[in-house]
Amino acid sequence: MAVRQMKPYEGLINRVYEIFSIVDMLPERMSDEEVEGMARVLPTELQKTMRAFLVPRIRKNSLEFLKLMKTWLEGAHRAKKEGRKVILVPFNFPPEIIHCFRNAWPITSEVLSTLGVAALEGQGERYWDYAMGLGLPDFACSANMIEVGSCLTETDFAPDAVLNDCFASCDINSKTHEFLARYLGIPLFFLEKTVDNSERGIRQYYRYFDALIRDLEEFLEEELDPEHMRQVIGYANQASELYWELWDLHKFSPCPVPNVFSLMTYGVRYTMWGTEEAVKVMRSMVETSRERLEKGEYPAPEEVARSLWTYTSYYFDMAGLFNWMEENGITHLGDGLDLLFPQAIDTTSRETMIIGMAEATRNMPMTRQMGAPAMTVQWLEDVTWAARDLEADCCIYCGHHSCKQTWSAVTIVRNELMKRAGIPTLILQGDSWIRRMTPIETLQELIGEFVDNVVSRKRRRAARAR
Amino acid sequence: MEELQRRSSDIFTDYVRRWKEGGGKVLGYSCVATPVEIIEAAGILPYRIKAFGHPDTELGDSYLARFNCRFCRSCLQLGLDGTYDFLDGLIETNGCDHLRGMFENWQYAKKYGFFHYLKVPHFLRRDSLEYFTEELSLLRMALEDHFGVEISDDALRESIGTVNQVQARLRDLYALREEERPRLSGAEALQVICTGSSMRANDFLDLLDRLVEEKSRVSGIQGRARLLLLGSATDEVDLVAEIEDQGALVVADALCYGSRSFWGREGESVEEPLLYLAEKYLGNLFCPRMFTEYERRRDFVLERARQARVDGAIITYNKFCDLHGVESVSLRKDLEDNGIPVLVLEKDYGSPADAGRIRTRVQAFLERIGSGSVDRAGAVR
Repeated sequence: MAVRQMKPYEGLINRVYEIFSIVDMLPERMSDEEVEGMARVLPTELQKTMRAFLVPRIRKNSLEFLKLMKTWLEGAHRAKKEGRKVILVPFNFPPEIIHCFRNAWPITSEVLSTLGVAALEGQGERYWDYAMGLGLPDFACSANMIEVGSCLTETDFAPDAVLNDCFASCDINSKTHEFLARYLGIPLFFLEKTVDNSERGIRQYYRYFDALIRDLEEFLEEELDPEHMRQVIGYANQASELYWELWDLHKFSPCPVPNVFSLMTYGVRYTMWGTEEAVKVMRSMVETSRERLEKGEYPAPEEVARSLWTYTSYYFDMAGLFNWMEENGITHLGDGLDLLFPQAIDTTSRETMIIGMAEATRNMPMTRQMGAPAMTVQWLEDVTWAARDLEADCCIYCGHHSCKQTWSAVTIVRNELMKRAGIPTLILQGDSWIRRMTPIETLQELIGEFVDNVVSRKRRRAARAR
Repeated sequence: MEELQRRSSDIFTDYVRRWKEGGGKVLGYSCVATPVEIIEAAGILPYRIKAFGHPDTELGDSYLARFNCRFCRSCLQLGLDGTYDFLDGLIETNGCDHLRGMFENWQYAKKYGFFHYLKVPHFLRRDSLEYFTEELSLLRMALEDHFGVEISDDALRESIGTVNQVQARLRDLYALREEERPRLSGAEALQVICTGSSMRANDFLDLLDRLVEEKSRVSGIQGRARLLLLGSATDEVDLVAEIEDQGALVVADALCYGSRSFWGREGESVEEPLLYLAEKYLGNLFCPRMFTEYERRRDFVLERARQARVDGAIITYNKFCDLHGVESVSLRKDLEDNGIPVLVLEKDYGSPADAGRIRTRVQAFLERIGSGSVDRAGAVR
C-alpha cells in the first residue's frame, strides 16, 4: 500500500471547507475593485474560477451560489460534530432523500471533486495521483476518483457511510465507491436500477427503493417523519418549479440565461435540493435571467450558436469554457447533467412521498438514460427532446474518457440526432476534471471551428430557406 | 485433444456448420449469467461469443470508441464483418457497460429478428432472485414465441441434468490440472472450454468424457512455475500459451471463459426448473459486476490458489475494464497477504503490439518468484 504523506489539512474536503469558510465574509455587492483585489491574493486556480464566477453579469448569483456551497460543506462538518451521519452519495442520487433524515447529511462525490478542481491550488491532481498510486486504473472517472482519492488517504474528512445507485448506469462509479467503502470499513448502501421501464421493472425498482429506505432508517436509528419529509419535499417542489421556469427562459434567443447557470443548476440539485437555500438560489437565477431578457442583454454582439452538451461539460477551467463560449456568442443551453426532469411530488402521505422520491431517483441524469432498457434509445430521446424544445442548433459531446457507457452509445445518438432532427454533434475528447488530458485552448479551438464551419453554415442555410 | 484443437480454431466451426446444415438454430450470448439450459431445452445451439484475440477492430471502432474494451470491439468487428452471420439471434445481458454497448450497436447495425435482453440483477437477495426468475420466464416465452417451440419443464430438467454433468466433468478436468504433475496446460484447458461453449451440451459431454479419460493416462508436466490466472473476459488461448512458453504453467484460473463459467454450487429448488436456474446463476456469478460480494469472489480465488498450490498469480484485465481494473487492487492485496506473489497485467486485448511487453513482464515476474530458470521445454512427460 502507498505510504501516506498527507496531513489532515491537506485533504480535499478539509481544504475546500477552509476556503469556503471565508465566503460569508464577502460583501453581498462586490465592486470590481474588490473582486480584483481579492483575485490578486488567491492562488492561480482559484483566481481563475473566481474571475469566471464574479464577472459583473452573474456576480450576485455566483455569490449566492458560493454561499450555498459553503452552507452545504458546513452542514457536513456540523453533522459530524453533532454525531449525525454523513453519507457520501453520487450525483445521481437525490440529496433531498438524505435531507429527509434529521440524523444524516449528504455529501456528493462529483460535486466535491468539482469544488476541489475549481478552488484548490494544483486542482485535484494530487488526490487522483494518490489513487493511481494504490493501483486504481488510470481509466477511472476523475469525477469520483479525485474525491475518493482524498478519502483513501484516510486523513481527510471522512463519510460515515457510502450510498451508491450507479450499478446498471455506470460501472466505474459503482466499483469506485464500493472499493472506498471496503477500504474505509464503512457501511455501503445500494440501490439497483432495473434496466427495465415496464410496469414490472418499475415495481421492482420501488421494492429496491423501499428496502434502501428501511436500511437507512435502521442505520440512522430514525424513522422518516412525514412532517419533516413534507417540509423538505415542499422545498424540493418549489425548486423544481423554478427549474422549469429557467428551462423556459432558455428558449429565447439570444438566450437570457448565463452559460454558467447550467453548472449552478445542477450544483444546487446535487447538494441542497430540498432546502430553503436551494429555492433562494434557483429563484435568484430565474430573476437574473428574466431581467436579462427584459433588457435584451447578451454578452456577445450576437448569438451565433445554441449548443446543448449531451453529457458533461468541462470543469477544470470555468472561465475558459462557460464564459469564453458566452463571450463568443455560443450559448450553453445545459448539458446532460441538467436533464433533471424534476416533477412535483405529492406530499399527501409518507407513501406518496416515498413513491415520488423513488421516481425522482429513477429519473436522475445518467440513471434515466444509461440505466434504461437501451442506453442509446433513452439518451437519444432525451437529448432530441431537449434540443428541439430549447431550439439548439448543435450538440457537443465532451468525450470524458471514463464514460465508457456513453462512449459506446454516442455514435448511434449522433447519427440519429442528425437524421431525426438535423442537429449535428461535435465529439470532443478530454477529461472534464483533469486539465492534463486536453488543454482548454485545444477545446476552444475545436468548438470554434465547429461553430464556424458547421453551425454557422447551417444557420445561413436556414436563413436563406426562410 | 487434437479433435478439440481442430474444433476450436474458427468462430464458425465445422460443428456449427454441420448444425446449421441440419437446420439447427444458433443463438449468440456473451455473459456467463446466461442460463444456456433454457436455450438447450429449446433445441437451439447456445453459442458464446468469442473473438479469439482477433486483432482488427476498424468496423467495431466506427461504433464503439477506443475507450471501450477491445474484446467487445473485436467481437463487434466479427459481428459486423459477417463472421457471425450464422447466428439466428442475440441474447444481451447487462454484464458491463462495454458489453451493453457492444450488443446495442450490433443490433442497431444487424437488426436480428430475435434479440432479447436478459436483465440480470447485480446482487443476490430474495427480491432480486424473484425478479431474475421472472426474467428467465420471459426468456423462455420469447424463445417459444419466436422459434415456435415449446420449452417444457421436463425438457428444462433434462438440459439442466446434462449441463450439470458437463460442469462436473469440467471440474474433473480441472482436478487433472491441479495435480502435482498437471496433465494439461492452461492453454489447453481454455481451448476446451471455448470449444464447449460453441457446442450442444450432450456433444460436449461426450467429448469431455473422452478427453478426461485420455488425459488421465498421460504423464504430467513438471518443473514449471505454477500459476493462477484470473481477471476479465479472456478467450485468448494464445496469451495463455505465451505465458506458459515463458516457463510457467497455468494450473488454475478464475477467468470468465474458465472456471468462473462452470464452478460453484447448484440450485436448490429442483422441482421448479426456472427458480433452480435463477439460484444457480445468480448465486454463482463470481464476477465483479456483482455488488457487495467481494468477499465471496476473494474466497473463490484463494480457494483456487490453495487447491492448485500455486507459486504466483497473474491478474490480467483488458484496458478500460472498469470492473476488473478496480477489483484487481483488492485482489492483489488479498493474494499477497496470503503469501501469493502477484503480477497485475493490464493489456490491450488481442493486440500484437502488446505481445513483447507482456512477455517481458511475465519473464520478470517468473524471475521475481524464483522460477525464472525452470524447464522451458515444457515437455509432457
